[in-house]
Amino acid sequence: MSVLATIAKKECREDVFTVRGMGLYLAAALVLSGFGLLLVGNTELSLLDNAQAVYMMAGIILALAGLIAVVRGSDGFAGERDRETLEAVLVTPVSGDGLAFGKLGAIIVSWVLLYLLAIPYIWAVGSSGQNLTSSLLYLFISGTALMIIFGSLMLSLSIKMKSFKGVMSAGLVLLLFAAVPVALGPSLRQSAVGRILDWLNPFAVSMNMLDAVIVDSQSAPGQQFLSLLVLSGYVVIAAWILWKSSRRIEL
Amino acid sequence: MNPFKFTHDVRKARIPDHSLCASLTWCAGINAFLFIFFSIIFPGTAMAERYIDIPSSELISVSLKAPAGPLRMGEVPIFTGTITNRSTKSLKGLVVYLSLVSLQPGHEHPVDLEDWSAQKAIRIASLTPGQESDHEWKMRLIKAGPFGAALTIVDPESNQPKISPLAIFSIAPKPTVISGRILPVIIGMPLFLAGLFLVLYRTRR
Repeated sequence: MSVLATIAKKECREDVFTVRGMGLYLAAALVLSGFGLLLVGNTELSLLDNAQAVYMMAGIILALAGLIAVVRGSDGFAGERDRETLEAVLVTPVSGDGLAFGKLGAIIVSWVLLYLLAIPYIWAVGSSGQNLTSSLLYLFISGTALMIIFGSLMLSLSIKMKSFKGVMSAGLVLLLFAAVPVALGPSLRQSAVGRILDWLNPFAVSMNMLDAVIVDSQSAPGQQFLSLLVLSGYVVIAAWILWKSSRRIEL
Repeated sequence: MNPFKFTHDVRKARIPDHSLCASLTWCAGINAFLFIFFSIIFPGTAMAERYIDIPSSELISVSLKAPAGPLRMGEVPIFTGTITNRSTKSLKGLVVYLSLVSLQPGHEHPVDLEDWSAQKAIRIASLTPGQESDHEWKMRLIKAGPFGAALTIVDPESNQPKISPLAIFSIAPKPTVISGRILPVIIGMPLFLAGLFLVLYRTRR
């Protein structure tokens, strides 16, 4: 456990307290500010119910979280390989899975920082409406699950693929496919095929759960049991894929 | 072999001869006679008598009640419609639909109910004589201002739809997104992070 914590700390120092890391959070803040500006300035958006505005903002935050997971996960091993620092990391007395899960821990810390950054925005948009506390709680749960899923998959790809650019491109395509539910309205996904595709996509599962909690006030754990169960299943599968991939890390 | 022979034969076969024309004329005459005869004997079955002469407005009464008390944007109040069959026979397949109009002075216009109400119309399968039927319409109040709502009933056996008196109500505005609270955050957060970014950048150099 201490090995994991040490690696996570090292990764956090590199990812958060650097110019590049801060730039990512500044970009995220600018995106959220842009959406807030639209809410204030656009006549139609300003008529939105608070819960609807919070739901839209939650979708943007999850998309940003996915983007951070793709960037950090791609950089995890393929970036080290490109910078020719992977060899030095591999000679340390840490197992492959310890290294991989330490990096995953740093990705989760990045998510926590993004979440803390997003809280003032959600409060500003939704404090005069309903379901603010449950919105924040379920956003944290779904965001953490998505970070573990995307982070694990990206780290696994990063272990197997040699080029950082290749991993990054694959990750962005994956994120684009997964984030389609944010662009499409729920009404377009009401068919049987749409529902099946929704359950196969952890991003869509999260969005549907947030829709039910924030807009429809169904925040009791029993009401979201199935969504939470499916997300947990995806988390376990993604973690297992990372564990299998990290057993043999090549230069 | 003449390749046009078949085409020529077909064209020839389509030209009716005099005996066929005479038969068709006889059939049409007999049909016209039978139509007039049966129209006199059984007036209810004639094509011209598809609708009932008595206007539906005398057979059905309809009213729409707006919820009591002040209404605010964002609320989802329930409007109650009452349809009563005042005739002596059952009415079948009545279609009842809701209409909304903005009564803003100088800007009166019909309102598309797409965002306001998920259920715009209902069908009443049967309404026996004297029977009263109550239905509820949930409306999400999207905009502020004075509005009027009405119910229209279409009876498939009548060419006279019945419209309820206008239920007039006013929606008070509600600031859903408070700009005074959002602006400090959307300006302050990037500035705070940019400051932190600058400090970090200078420290690292």
